[in-house]
Amino acid sequence: MDSGFIALVTMYLVASVRMATPLILAGLGEAVSEKAGILNIGVEAIMLSGAFFSFIVAFFTGNLFLGLLTGIVGGVLVSMIHAVLSIHCKANQTIAGLALNFMVMGLTSFLFLIVFGQTTTIPSCTMFGDIKIPLLSSIPIIGPALFNQNVFVYLALIGIILTAIFFYKTEWGINLHAVGEHPQAANSAGLNVFAIRYFACFINGVLGGLGGASITLGQLGFFMENVTSGRGYIALVAVILGRRNPIGIFAAAMVIGFSQALQYNLQTLGFPIPTQVFTMFPYLVAVIVLFLSIGKSIDPSALGIPFERNKR
Amino acid sequence: MALLSMKNISKSFFGKMANSQVCFDLEPGEIHALLGENGAGKTTLMNILYGIYSRDSGDIFWKGQEVSFTSPRDAIAFKIGMVHQHFMLVPTLTVSQNITLGLKEKGYPFPDRKVLNATIMEVSQKYGLQIDVNAYISNLSVGEQQRVEIIKLLYRDAELLILDEPTAMLTPQETEYFFEVLRKLRADGHSVIIITHRIPEIMSISDRVTVLRDGYNVVTAKTSDISEQELSRYMIGRQLQIIQRETILSDTGREGIALEEVSLQEKGRERLNSLSLQIAPGEIVGVAGVDGNGQKELVEVILGIRKQSSGKIRMDGVDMSSLSVLERKKLGIGYISDDRHQDGLVMDMSLTDNILLKTHTDRRFIKHGLINTRLVRAETQKAVEDYAIKTPGLNTPLRYLSGGNQQKLILAREMAGNPKAIIAHQPSRGLDIGATEFVQQQLLQHRSNGCSILLISADLEEVLLLSDRIAVLYKGCFLGIFPNTQELDLSQIGLLMAGKTSEARKESL
Repeated sequence: MDSGFIALVTMYLVASVRMATPLILAGLGEAVSEKAGILNIGVEAIMLSGAFFSFIVAFFTGNLFLGLLTGIVGGVLVSMIHAVLSIHCKANQTIAGLALNFMVMGLTSFLFLIVFGQTTTIPSCTMFGDIKIPLLSSIPIIGPALFNQNVFVYLALIGIILTAIFFYKTEWGINLHAVGEHPQAANSAGLNVFAIRYFACFINGVLGGLGGASITLGQLGFFMENVTSGRGYIALVAVILGRRNPIGIFAAAMVIGFSQALQYNLQTLGFPIPTQVFTMFPYLVAVIVLFLSIGKSIDPSALGIPFERNKR
Repeated sequence: MALLSMKNISKSFFGKMANSQVCFDLEPGEIHALLGENGAGKTTLMNILYGIYSRDSGDIFWKGQEVSFTSPRDAIAFKIGMVHQHFMLVPTLTVSQNITLGLKEKGYPFPDRKVLNATIMEVSQKYGLQIDVNAYISNLSVGEQQRVEIIKLLYRDAELLILDEPTAMLTPQETEYFFEVLRKLRADGHSVIIITHRIPEIMSISDRVTVLRDGYNVVTAKTSDISEQELSRYMIGRQLQIIQRETILSDTGREGIALEEVSLQEKGRERLNSLSLQIAPGEIVGVAGVDGNGQKELVEVILGIRKQSSGKIRMDGVDMSSLSVLERKKLGIGYISDDRHQDGLVMDMSLTDNILLKTHTDRRFIKHGLINTRLVRAETQKAVEDYAIKTPGLNTPLRYLSGGNQQKLILAREMAGNPKAIIAHQPSRGLDIGATEFVQQQLLQHRSNGCSILLISADLEEVLLLSDRIAVLYKGCFLGIFPNTQELDLSQIGLLMAGKTSEARKESL
């Protein structure tokens, strides 16, 4: 095969995996949450919070790992607000998620302004470097894409495997499934529906926060207003397309990640077309793929429905 | 010493008492029946014991020790297990996964299914509860799902099994088999509480019986010391009236409902095969047949919910074949669905809104383009009074009413304004004796008012009791239509229901 072509494929694969990483992380978290019956469309808020807090801490301490951890905390904070609203207060989960998205968008922009003021130069921090795994990274085509990347990519890949084991090989996965599918049955079998749902939301916060941090500390090196720019929603699409199956989410995120990589590339090629048209591309792909998959989704029966003990 | 003793248990929902100072006790190794009509508070009482509902007052003693369960997990820890009327199984999990759900078995959280399955098989074989452990619940029949529920309890070492209406959806053969299992369990030292409203079953299986009515204790007695008549009187608080069907000959000159060679093909399969039938005004035609032989299809074709592939449906000479569901209903057809939760009512809507479901296009209820709420409320109030619907209020969501009262609301809605025809599909399904009697009387009442009634019931007794003529439906065909007279040959009906036409013919020769 033409070596130029191989180089091109390799390059796109590397870029696609990078673009897909935040989607995979956040998507896995949302899948855990939805399996337990909590529909959190506030993924965008979780990611944005993770992105903001990880950047702030990394910027001021210069310690990237501390930044990463704070990003997780930021994600968990937002996710737990949603959890309390939807589990304890039995609020409408969609509305709660929407409200969080707007609240966190405003809050992070506001805090960012307070800390840095109006600046012409965007404050930036160092980023996680690529870690080359010996031998594996020299596999042609997929080696560079999977084994010569930053820590977030590895976390996402490990996350896929761990989530798959969790879902399909452990009793915990069965419990999670039962709680999302038939909470009354789960309760009757002696499971603590509330605790399991809170746990699922916690995981969603951890992974979503990581996803957010992967944007600031893994891709950009800076924070700005609405830096996630809808990736949380795209992650939701990946979850639906991937049928809450970790491998499926990976595949869906890769398709969207590829279209993102492609649009960056197209922008630089100098077509006489406004760049906004290219920016639209990944979202367009998401919509088209969603259209193609209409009617095949099997949602957990109790998705979005609060559990009440005394309900008749 | 009693194994379990519940003292002065009270519980109210929305200000309505479901249990008032109820006492109940259970001896070790006994099968104790809890008898009462729907809404008498049987299930509520057991849900309180099992920790699903919290009680307002009262004490519970288990083996002499005071207990208070706040969740089923607590009850399970004390070796109490419950099978709910609506099974608590996750349809998308396997039998094995459902049975061990919530347990921390050896190897947790990485279960060794082979070992677990072996233990499950041991339990299942010991009590003759055959089951495929790897099957998904959604693929199992009702009887099989019940077996899974029982194995689930036995797997958890339950000493006390609470069974809520266990026979409601079983065939007579399955019921008999099920009772055998219960006897084996009793012989093995288990105690059983069986909630039911079927008196003959109580006589056959229980050692003692406690009767509840309107949330109060009525009586507790040894089954051998009490008769069926006494029990039924305790349960409904009066003597049961015997339903009499008088022959009426009314020639109104109307045609009633007529089907002319109606066929229905769906997904390449013949669902209804050239059905012809005329139901005259003042006539009840009963359809006998095993469920799933085209009953649902027949009903829905008449109502226009499904469209027949060929044939004609007329109502008093008007061809309805191309009319919409609404237009047909406006011609005067009332519809009692076999699945009131699915097709009849919106469970989270109030009584008034559910009444409006059928009448919302009726001009009477519309004033200046808006719904005349006052009139609808008045109409609902009238329905509540006429049909003696027990409800805390007109704005109560239907979910909080008992099955019988929900069904009464459907009757009130569908029978309003003297319909010319009523399609009654399993009208007394899941109802207790009192409510069943009420529904049947209402049907007979409308029959004498000149209504054409199609009655479809899985209960052959009911068909025999009410129908003027009986049509046997088998695989979408009417295998015969017989006048319901003294000469009616029941064994012939039975053979036709099983599709054995040649044997049935021999029988009639």
